[in-house]
Amino acid sequence: MKKILQYIKIIKLGDTFVIVTFMGLIFWSVSQSWNMPSGQYLKIENNQEDSKVFSLNQTVNKQVIGFLGSSEISIAEGKVRFVKSPCTKKYCIHHGWINKINQTIVCLPNQITISIVGDSESYDTVNY
Amino acid sequence: MRFHKLLLIVILFLVSCSQKAPIYEHKDFIFGTIVDIKIYGETEEKSENISNLIFNDFKRLHNYLHPWEKSLISSMNNAIAAGSVFNVDDEEIIRIIQDNKNLASKSENYFNPAIGKLIALWGFHQELPNQMVPKAHQINELLANVTTMDDLKINQSTLSSANRNFQLDLGGYAKGYALDRAKKILANNGVANALVNIGGNIIAIGMHGDRSWIVGIQHPRKPSAIASIQLPPGWSIGTSGDYQRYFMDHDKRYSHLINPRTGFPADNSQSATIMIPPANNSGALSDAYSKPLFIAPEIEKLQLADKLGIDFFMVVLANGDILISSKMNESIQWLEQNNEKNITVH
Repeated sequence: MKKILQYIKIIKLGDTFVIVTFMGLIFWSVSQSWNMPSGQYLKIENNQEDSKVFSLNQTVNKQVIGFLGSSEISIAEGKVRFVKSPCTKKYCIHHGWINKINQTIVCLPNQITISIVGDSESYDTVNY
Repeated sequence: MRFHKLLLIVILFLVSCSQKAPIYEHKDFIFGTIVDIKIYGETEEKSENISNLIFNDFKRLHNYLHPWEKSLISSMNNAIAAGSVFNVDDEEIIRIIQDNKNLASKSENYFNPAIGKLIALWGFHQELPNQMVPKAHQINELLANVTTMDDLKINQSTLSSANRNFQLDLGGYAKGYALDRAKKILANNGVANALVNIGGNIIAIGMHGDRSWIVGIQHPRKPSAIASIQLPPGWSIGTSGDYQRYFMDHDKRYSHLINPRTGFPADNSQSATIMIPPANNSGALSDAYSKPLFIAPEIEKLQLADKLGIDFFMVVLANGDILISSKMNESIQWLEQNNEKNITVH
């Protein structure tokens, strides 16, 4: 007990500043990620290159090049959707948001697949 | 020294944690859909080579069986429409046609690959459907003398039909047949464990390590799975649904699954899923036999399932109610709340 008191005594103003700043930073980052899904990611596949995996913990629009041209997808707080596509029927856009593991949106005309993958997949493939 | 041992144990532990299951996945777009091959427990090089063999065979089948692009089948259709005899020097196509005759007659022609003309009339013989309901007299004209596989006569290596409306469309068979081909190629190359998915038609080869392959079954109206089920070694699963190829007109849905008896898209189901045990043609069966269960009226579905020997089936009816066989019901894992749904076990 005495020892702890001794340590507290040697804390100076600058130390307090550093401690408060870092505690604030920790609090802020925890609150930011609190509602974010953990253990699930966005997988983008197209006809041109190997599939790519992205974090869902970001708010960003991405361009993906497909068979017909460039599609735009939007990632926002753990969910993802198509927002622009050069295909004619726009089924991919009408599909709306997906946010659960194994959910997939396929744009057949533009040959782009976006799906949510995770550490704990509940099945290997989907029958449709 | 003791510290080093501890470090070694920790590193080994971390390494073993990060080791992923030895699965190699290959995807490509063929048959107008996604083909997904997963190979378990082989080296990356071998699985890549074998996937390429399979993809090449699928491309061959695509160019060979395609119902409306240039292919052997469309050449035959053109010859029949012109009233002439078509010569094929090809055992495989004769076998395929025999198989289709057999499946169509068993299914009381609810699986009817001879109605290509009707399907084209509805605008489903193009990548993007017309989105137009045909005129009644056009449908009635074809319905008055509806074509069946019996109209196609095989005389050794010549094919002919007295009914010039006969147009073979293997759209409900080719993907399943391709699964059976994939199974052969995998077996010939000594691959014991794989999962092949062609646009939703799936065959399981062996297992995923020490467990069976698990398949999610698509919800016909939601972007997620309605259930999952284990697909034991050698089994195939197929679904016919109204949610992939369809168009809307005045708020009514018209799918590509045409009822050969009415000439209209069947509208009593949203999807029909069947599982077929190991057999030489289990892939083809899982593709073809999901059609009768989707198209036939509700009462006939059960009789047809019994007659065709389909023990594992699940039909999501137009109102969302579910008709499921007792065996399917025992093995299925529901993934979503079915509170509001009526499940009838047969």
